[in-house]
Amino acid sequence: MKKKYLLYILVLALFSACEPKIDEFSPSEGNADFTTYLAMGNSLTAGYADGALYISGQTYSYPNILAGQFELAGGGAFTQPMMPTEAGVGVGDLGLRSKLVLGMATDCLGTVSLGPVPFDPAPDQLEYLGYLVTSVAADGPYNNIGVPGIKSFHVLAPGLGLLNPYFGRFAANPATDMLIGEAAKVNPTFFTLWLGNNDVLTYALAGGVIDSITPEPIFSGSMDAIVGALTANGASGAIANVPDITTIPFFTTVPYCGLVLTDEADVAALNYGYAPLNFIINQNGGDTLAFTLGANPFVIADASLPWGVRQIKAGELILLSIPQDSLKCAGWGSMVPIPEQYVLKADQIVAIETATEAYNDKIAELAGTFSLALVDMNSYLKEFETGMIFDGATYSTQFILGGLFSLDGIHLNPRGNAVITNHFIDAINAKYNANLPQVIIQDYPGIQFP
Amino acid sequence: MQTSKINLMKKITLLLTLVTMVTWSTFAGGYQVRLQGQKQTGIGLIGTPFNFGASSIFYNPGALSMMKAKTNFQLGASGILSNVTFQKSATNYQAHTENPLGTPFYFYGARKITDNLAVGVGVYTPFGTTSKWNDDWAGRFLVQNISLKAIFIQPTVSYKINDMISIGAGFVYAMGDVELNKALPYNNNSFVNIKGSTNSIGYNLGVYIKPIEELSIGIDYRSEVLMEMEGGDAVFTVPASLSTTISENNKFSASLPMPANLDVGFAYQITEDFLIAAEINYVFWSVYDSLNFTFEENGELLNSENPRLYENKMIIRLGCQYKLNDKFVIRAGGYYDPSPTNEDYFTPETVSLNTTAFTFGFTYKPMKNLCVNVSYLHTLGSETDNSYDPGNFSGTYKTSAAIPGIGISYHF
Repeated sequence: MKKKYLLYILVLALFSACEPKIDEFSPSEGNADFTTYLAMGNSLTAGYADGALYISGQTYSYPNILAGQFELAGGGAFTQPMMPTEAGVGVGDLGLRSKLVLGMATDCLGTVSLGPVPFDPAPDQLEYLGYLVTSVAADGPYNNIGVPGIKSFHVLAPGLGLLNPYFGRFAANPATDMLIGEAAKVNPTFFTLWLGNNDVLTYALAGGVIDSITPEPIFSGSMDAIVGALTANGASGAIANVPDITTIPFFTTVPYCGLVLTDEADVAALNYGYAPLNFIINQNGGDTLAFTLGANPFVIADASLPWGVRQIKAGELILLSIPQDSLKCAGWGSMVPIPEQYVLKADQIVAIETATEAYNDKIAELAGTFSLALVDMNSYLKEFETGMIFDGATYSTQFILGGLFSLDGIHLNPRGNAVITNHFIDAINAKYNANLPQVIIQDYPGIQFP
Repeated sequence: MQTSKINLMKKITLLLTLVTMVTWSTFAGGYQVRLQGQKQTGIGLIGTPFNFGASSIFYNPGALSMMKAKTNFQLGASGILSNVTFQKSATNYQAHTENPLGTPFYFYGARKITDNLAVGVGVYTPFGTTSKWNDDWAGRFLVQNISLKAIFIQPTVSYKINDMISIGAGFVYAMGDVELNKALPYNNNSFVNIKGSTNSIGYNLGVYIKPIEELSIGIDYRSEVLMEMEGGDAVFTVPASLSTTISENNKFSASLPMPANLDVGFAYQITEDFLIAAEINYVFWSVYDSLNFTFEENGELLNSENPRLYENKMIIRLGCQYKLNDKFVIRAGGYYDPSPTNEDYFTPETVSLNTTAFTFGFTYKPMKNLCVNVSYLHTLGSETDNSYDPGNFSGTYKTSAAIPGIGISYHF
């Protein structure tokens, strides 16, 4: 009988090693040539995230992830102008700052809650300036020439490097170079181009108080020149359009109806306080201010009204940059109108959406004329408003828990970059009959909870 | 005689050590495992039309009172070596399971009280599944690993009406265990462990008919056994800052049906030594419609309804047996076992694909009262594109399984 058991064990050993085989994915470039890839764009392309440009943010930029997939189908090396620190450098209201991380913060009411906090609470401005302006041009030219903050027409502006240190740090001659000149140095066989966000976003981030939306003719003229230059040597590529920026967490996290009154006395005090103003408004035929128990629309400043104050309407947006403590403890939104720089009003939203549509018409036209893959980010981001599921996890435009956006509410986190990389890949595969594999989204880091 | 008893005891000890690590791997047909007798396994897993002694307790209690010996004990186990390879759609990603050896086992004892009346008891393992994927594999938000197992205890009575027909019935007491890990979409190493055990009841009814000497017919119905779990443990491992949203120790309720089977089989003795057999098994899988979890705390966030939408399926089996001499009987068989899963609701927790399998087996009779039964089952790899639509997780699955088994039968 011993022999039988030996046989039994032998058979076990034999089959435990056996693994079913499935044909492996075979990547191919199709009609495209990924040998030399150039990524042009703004902060999203540069890998800016959590309010700063920093090493791992750049590592997980969508162009860098995409280049990794190109490499499987003939793509070559891909270089980026890496920042010197993991803390990074961002440009904030109070000067240069580090990236944001998720942490515990105590507000003016003494409540401790989870939210974005600076990685470096007291950035030394000189030190950070040093990180930002130290030139890395000697190691260039770079394949990723995404520059945070740039608008379409900046690409063609000589001396951009003096105004924008994120370009200045990798421009050989910051005082004279144009960003488009970097493309010629790289001489790509394939490019991605994602521009136009800042042509509306810079205005929106300031509540429309400063800056302005780039007029469509300027956008179109710039884009004609940029795409013309990129394709001059026969490169093929992909062009992404502009998402509806009013759907990103920066504009959707603070609710318009966020003035919650739980005490009759507060309701009475506010109604009493605004009574004289309401008297004037009534005489002039405007919307009076009224408060009830429960959720009320915030009180905002509106310079277009003679009396300068009204309650915010549904569909209008309060920016994530609003100082939370002012809302909670300084009477902002109730006794004190929220300043205009923290609000996007209905007419401003219409102006942003009109411009975005015009830009996207131009981008679609360019994709057709130059036979480029069109990556429709505008429609794609809309699908995430109600949530999209990948491999059993739900991703949405919700701040922090949505899993796509970084802690600044504007830029994507690494998983968000993986999601849009896959969208680029789908468009490129379809246009060029290529067979690039998608990436596994959850293999990239999401927001780290403490 | 004395030495054979000692040998028998040794074997029991060996098999019991296997029992302590009892787990199953899926090799076909949802999470059902029909490896409950070595002779039956060798002949294509056909059981109803045979009078193979005490193992009739599982395959057809009706045949039990037809057994020739007065007393019969059977004991055995199989080793399931099965693995799955997964190729994720539109990616160059492949994953392989690292399934542990599955060891379904059985023990049956039966005795004829009168010429017409037999009683017996069986302990067997008709359901189970084990899938062990790497903790960081691409489907980790659906499942990292799962182990589901059930042990049935079945006291049985069988009555021979006449030489042509006998009937039998068994009461089933079932004990089930489940353990499942799946990752949560927060920091790496965030996951939930779900663990619980429960018990339930069911029954097993059979008729055995022998209209002429050469032909035997068996019909068996095994009822559904619904495993309902209340207050199972759910342990959530999440970052500290989320512990107020998701409490660490939670309780869950869920239920899992073990479907009913209707089996009809025929065996025909072509010559005195050569027999052929055929059987169909109709498995009432449609009871597995959805796997729902209800949690005691944070239910709004955690409760889930997960569609499975299994369908009733029919398995077709063929087999034959040849008696070489008084000491050796050899067997062979094959079957086609269509997957009860729905291609749009296919989860990596139970990788069940359409399966064609071949079986071989033999009986060796070293002495008058003792049979050693050996079986081997091999499934042909099938490759199927499946998707779990609610989780947007799709790809190609391929399985393979090799299942050697050994058992002994002792009668007097």
